[in-house]
Amino acid sequence: MKQTLATLPVLRAKLKEERSKLRCIMVCCGTGCRARGGMQVADAIRDELSAAGLAGSVPVELTRTGCHGWCEQGPIVTFEPEGVFYTQVKPEKAKEIVASFQSGEPVSKLLFRDTKTKRSIVTYHEIPFYSKQTRWAMRNVGRISPTEIGQYIARDGYKALEKVLSGMTPEDVISEVEKAGLRGRGGGGFDAGRKWRSCRKAKGDVKYLICNGDEGDPGAFMDRSIMEADPHGVLEGMIIAAYAIGAREGFIYVRQEYPLAVEHLGMAIASARENGLLGENILGTGFSFDIRIARGGGAFVCGESSALMRSIEGKPGEPRAKYVHATDRGLFDRPTVLNNVETFINVPLILDRGAAWFAALGTDGSKGTKAFSVVGKVNHNGLIEVPMGMSLKELIFDVAGGIPKGRTFKAVQTGGPSGGCLPEALLDLPVDFDSLTEAGSMMGSGGLIVMDDRNCMVDVARYFIHFLVEESCGKCVPCRDGLKQLLEILARITKGQGREDDLDKIDSLCFVLTEGSLCALGKSAANPVLSTVRHFREEYEQHIKDHFCRAGVCRDLCRYEITDACTGCTLCAKACPVECIAGDRKQVHVIDQSKCTRCGSCFDVCNFGAVEVRSAR
Amino acid sequence: MIRLTIDGRRVESRNGEYLLTLARRAGIEIPTLCHHEAVEPAGACRLCMVEITRPQWNGWSKLVTACLYPAEEGLIVKTSTERVLRTRREVLELLLARSPRAEAVRRLAAQYGILEPKYAVDQEGDNCILCDICTRVCATHVTGAISRVNRGVAKKVATPFDEASDVCVGCMACARSCPTDAIAFSQDGATRAIWGKTFEVVPCTVCGAPTVTREQARWMAQRKGVAEEDFYVCDVCKVAKTGLSCRKVMW
Amino acid sequence: MESKLMHVFPGKCTACRNCEQACAFAHLHEGRPTRSRIRADADPQLREGKHVLVVCYQCDAAACVAACPANALWRDTETGAINHIAERCIRCGSCVAACPFGNMRWEPLAQHPSKCDLCKGDPVCVRFCPTGAIQYK
Repeated sequence: MKQTLATLPVLRAKLKEERSKLRCIMVCCGTGCRARGGMQVADAIRDELSAAGLAGSVPVELTRTGCHGWCEQGPIVTFEPEGVFYTQVKPEKAKEIVASFQSGEPVSKLLFRDTKTKRSIVTYHEIPFYSKQTRWAMRNVGRISPTEIGQYIARDGYKALEKVLSGMTPEDVISEVEKAGLRGRGGGGFDAGRKWRSCRKAKGDVKYLICNGDEGDPGAFMDRSIMEADPHGVLEGMIIAAYAIGAREGFIYVRQEYPLAVEHLGMAIASARENGLLGENILGTGFSFDIRIARGGGAFVCGESSALMRSIEGKPGEPRAKYVHATDRGLFDRPTVLNNVETFINVPLILDRGAAWFAALGTDGSKGTKAFSVVGKVNHNGLIEVPMGMSLKELIFDVAGGIPKGRTFKAVQTGGPSGGCLPEALLDLPVDFDSLTEAGSMMGSGGLIVMDDRNCMVDVARYFIHFLVEESCGKCVPCRDGLKQLLEILARITKGQGREDDLDKIDSLCFVLTEGSLCALGKSAANPVLSTVRHFREEYEQHIKDHFCRAGVCRDLCRYEITDACTGCTLCAKACPVECIAGDRKQVHVIDQSKCTRCGSCFDVCNFGAVEVRSAR
Repeated sequence: MIRLTIDGRRVESRNGEYLLTLARRAGIEIPTLCHHEAVEPAGACRLCMVEITRPQWNGWSKLVTACLYPAEEGLIVKTSTERVLRTRREVLELLLARSPRAEAVRRLAAQYGILEPKYAVDQEGDNCILCDICTRVCATHVTGAISRVNRGVAKKVATPFDEASDVCVGCMACARSCPTDAIAFSQDGATRAIWGKTFEVVPCTVCGAPTVTREQARWMAQRKGVAEEDFYVCDVCKVAKTGLSCRKVMW
Repeated sequence: MESKLMHVFPGKCTACRNCEQACAFAHLHEGRPTRSRIRADADPQLREGKHVLVVCYQCDAAACVAACPANALWRDTETGAINHIAERCIRCGSCVAACPFGNMRWEPLAQHPSKCDLCKGDPVCVRFCPTGAIQYK
């Protein structure tokens, strides 16, 4: 039924009332949990629930939620409102789970065990990974069914839109967003309110709004999680933005590799239209706006706004110079506002709770919270949303649980392939737009890749440059040919064929990439190399001059040897995939260098530090 | 009227033309390889980099491509600062490593003091520097038979799926506009081959000398609403015919 | 402005080809009559001693201008000449095929068309014509 400004609050109150009486079993059916059998778990619990005949006095609901952002623990099952949290659930456990739901006794085997304290934790409120987060952008992630609009409305959904359309002028909306200090979450960190204002001022009747859900950084998935788990939040943010800038048409650009996000967004758009929240005459106010989904082919460069617009237009995804802003001439050469998924999901919060509330979160220059995708050598890989300005140290060691296996932290790559590697000395750096840029890295969309002493920084730089060579659109010379040359040099260094003048050549190539490239992809492509050369120069020099890779990654530049510290535990011999370690029990073992492939398995398993990495020479 | 300075010279622009146009009008040389007056600028070759600043920027400046940056009031443009020249040299190094045999690249590189590329030379590298002039010319003015395909280092100019194009009229605008002569074609009497398609160059109906391809004549006839046959007389025979008719009038 | 016109009197032409030489020198800096933009030929189809003398008419509704897809042919408002702007030309050859009079020629070395531009208002062919067969007034 089409809602109006009068009926929506009534509906919300009714839904709230209904849902407050519910007890829910929530099964994560996001992409990660599905891959691990989340759907089967949900089906098994459904069958078990009907078998147990749980239709008594308290209404029970089984909810299939979107991605929680903690896929390593999946499939995840939670009980609401209690907050009981089960990890790595298999369908066979359905009976025990339903029994636990009835009795209130937790299934201890399925509880999360803290890596530090080794204790089991019952509810997610007590798990540091969650309790240390401030989830505002991800407020509904894992808490609602993304396919049912009612659940979103019951959690104050479309309340901000209702407020906006009840009397705020577009000018009021823009001022509010400006006052909140919302900066774009996609990478550049441009002031969202200012962008909206210049688009509103731009000449032309037809204006477009685009939501960038392309998210191409390897390892980053916060936008995917939000689109899958809270699609209406994105829509509401977009509708408000469209009202502010005066757009009647909007696009959500999602990559085809996110089928579930596409599906959920499509369903959300349909149900928002049915409820009069999208399309003609929204909430009976006369304001009209509609959204279409544009599916991308998964090119990294199409996350760049101008390339994204070309892609929507049906042209090759190549960026163009931004000397004329998209807010004047963007999609189809019309004034266009493009913001990231995470930017839009913050908009309803700002309008609902007020600019002052939002501005109180975060730092002076960077307001609000930011979701990070923390991956790599940390105990807990997943999505972490914290207020801007939290230190990298806190984020990595407290929230994400620190470095596993007692290894030492070496570097953290922020901002994806276009960001930079920051060393231990910079761990106290507050995570916000300006601090990271100053340190030679960037916020990007919020990817954080943590590395320990088993990561070779030259190889890391080579990896990212390889990624960018594959993803460069090839339009301009520095990015297309410069990255190719850069990769050739880095690959040469990791193979032990580095030359004396290679660092100078790297410097020249980084210069021309930064100064000469057409778009942000090329301009920031040098960051992984520049930052590793800056902070880990001695590692490059060791590779070139001493032919030594201290991390034991570059196989041509290292060999493994067992020292006298060996206790003869035989663990390394068992782990060796080519069986080249010999030695009797309780005797010092020896590696047969002629057979060794330098895979490093022995090094990784040794509990006594008896395996050493040495120069290949 | 927009007033700005380029290399200290006062320049005026009525309608926000691009900096490259203004500089060239003022006689200031800026090198380009992907610029062509007949098409919209692309900013692909990165050679026309200039440094811009404003008094209120407190010494901060940035590099922009002159071919795409519109004139702005009060802008201070410098076309040959060390930053600009270094960028140009590095771009030329990359181009020379990519297309070591392209004459236009060699000549320009030599002007900037580069005789041998310092980077690894692509021995199989062809002359194409992906300036996109051919594709823009064809798409804007002819039939859009070729486009840039693939991405990154694999990027090239081609017809769809590398097959003989349905729409190519064999006019050769692409090959003749190419600054590095990178587009292969052959012309042998009455046949012309380009982009994997062979065309008949229709013989002059008077003397038999080659005129235009049948496809190009048809395309022109369609656009202008005239008969295709009008195009099948060579210029020499047309001159003779013109002379004859003149004499009839005069005598 | 009322611009001057090129007047041609074939009867006065002796096919001395001074005009062709002058034109080639003026535009190409070398005396190759074959690349001249004006033609003064002995016509094999005509009686002995009779000649053709053909130069661009700078037509009002010019076929070359209409055929050019890239707007590379522009009328100079001062001289009335239709000028070929080499920078804008995409070298497709459409104008050569389109001119009904053969006055648009293909320049084989530069690989673009060439046509009479009235030498910016002072045609050299006129100056070098000894018999007054070409006049500009």
